[in-house]
Amino acid sequence: MKTQWRKWFRILHRDVGYVAVALVVAYGVSGIAVNHIEDWNPNYTFAEDRFDLGPLPPGPPAEQAAAVVARLKLDPATVRGHFLETERDLRVFLVDGQEARLDVTTGRGVHKRVARRAVLFELNSLHLNNLKGVWTYVADVFAVALIFLALTGMTMMKGDRGFLGRGKYFVGAGLLVPLGFIVYLYQ
Amino acid sequence: MLHRVPALLALSFALTVAGCDKGPKAGATPAPTTAAAPGTAPAAPADPTAAAAAGVTPVIDPAAAAAGQSFGAGVKLPESTPIATILKDPKAFAGKTVRAEGLIVDVCPKRGCWFEMAGAGPGEKLRFKVVDGEMVFPLDAKGKYAVAEGTLSVKDMTLEDSVAYAKYQAEEKGETFDPATVTAPISVVRIDGTGALIRDKM
Repeated sequence: MKTQWRKWFRILHRDVGYVAVALVVAYGVSGIAVNHIEDWNPNYTFAEDRFDLGPLPPGPPAEQAAAVVARLKLDPATVRGHFLETERDLRVFLVDGQEARLDVTTGRGVHKRVARRAVLFELNSLHLNNLKGVWTYVADVFAVALIFLALTGMTMMKGDRGFLGRGKYFVGAGLLVPLGFIVYLYQ
Repeated sequence: MLHRVPALLALSFALTVAGCDKGPKAGATPAPTTAAAPGTAPAAPADPTAAAAAGVTPVIDPAAAAAGQSFGAGVKLPESTPIATILKDPKAFAGKTVRAEGLIVDVCPKRGCWFEMAGAGPGEKLRFKVVDGEMVFPLDAKGKYAVAEGTLSVKDMTLEDSVAYAKYQAEEKGETFDPATVTAPISVVRIDGTGALIRDKM
């Protein structure tokens, strides 16, 4: 009987492990990416081009925005709207989060573009559960699978190399790392 | 026997997924309530004509009006309060549930946890803030049109806090910050959001 449960744990650990490989890698990569969110943007890349259109003719913001679009040779169909941030600071919004922002008195400004990081954007959406809905339950199943893999992983070996052998020291060391940080933070 | 294990895992996974969809759906428009709930602010219709004259482009498209992506609990109040009205006397709305709408002029670049909507006049903006991760607004929502609902919050800051707040905001947007530009304490007026609808056009 003792051999039976170990045998089944090994089988399930192996097959659940296969199923979990893709998400373990995805969550791991995303984990590193979002861990450093203070230093970089893990979801988007930014680019900007400076321009000098010359002073815009005085007039309503809508006319000035139209002049910006014409001088930048942009497709008017890409314009979503505009906003006068201050009396001089005009912002023209374009599709895909783009923006042309300029000082209307000088015509100098910047064309900002933003793009989603390929693959990472999707991985982060999964990892941070930005998708909500069904994905919440998929992620729950995955979390349960990880717990299962961790617990069954300790039963893979018997004897000196098993949990009751040197394994317990490794598990203890793994526990001490987060525990040490928590004690350090709250002391 | 062994070859059945992956199949059983896949089946249980599929059944779990199939039975549990309660999340927001793109294109879903929440049904509006017919009466304002207690604690909600009296709404005046937003005025697109005034917005056009003052600095915000209204792109009116009835076909697009009903479409959009719903976030959180969606929008339940039947009418929006103009952002200019809220900003004129924010303390009159503090703690009340309000619905506001406008062109999205900024989105939180790091966590997508807030966006700012433009009011009718130059510089008029109202922030819609949610708890990190509760709703995530994409950066390319900038330039789209938002209808947002939540509780209006007004926080009066000291000058020191105002400088720190402005510095953080500038850093978040990747802009340079000069502390000398903050010369007086500021009040942060924002909607602590419960739901929003974002669509391509007004």
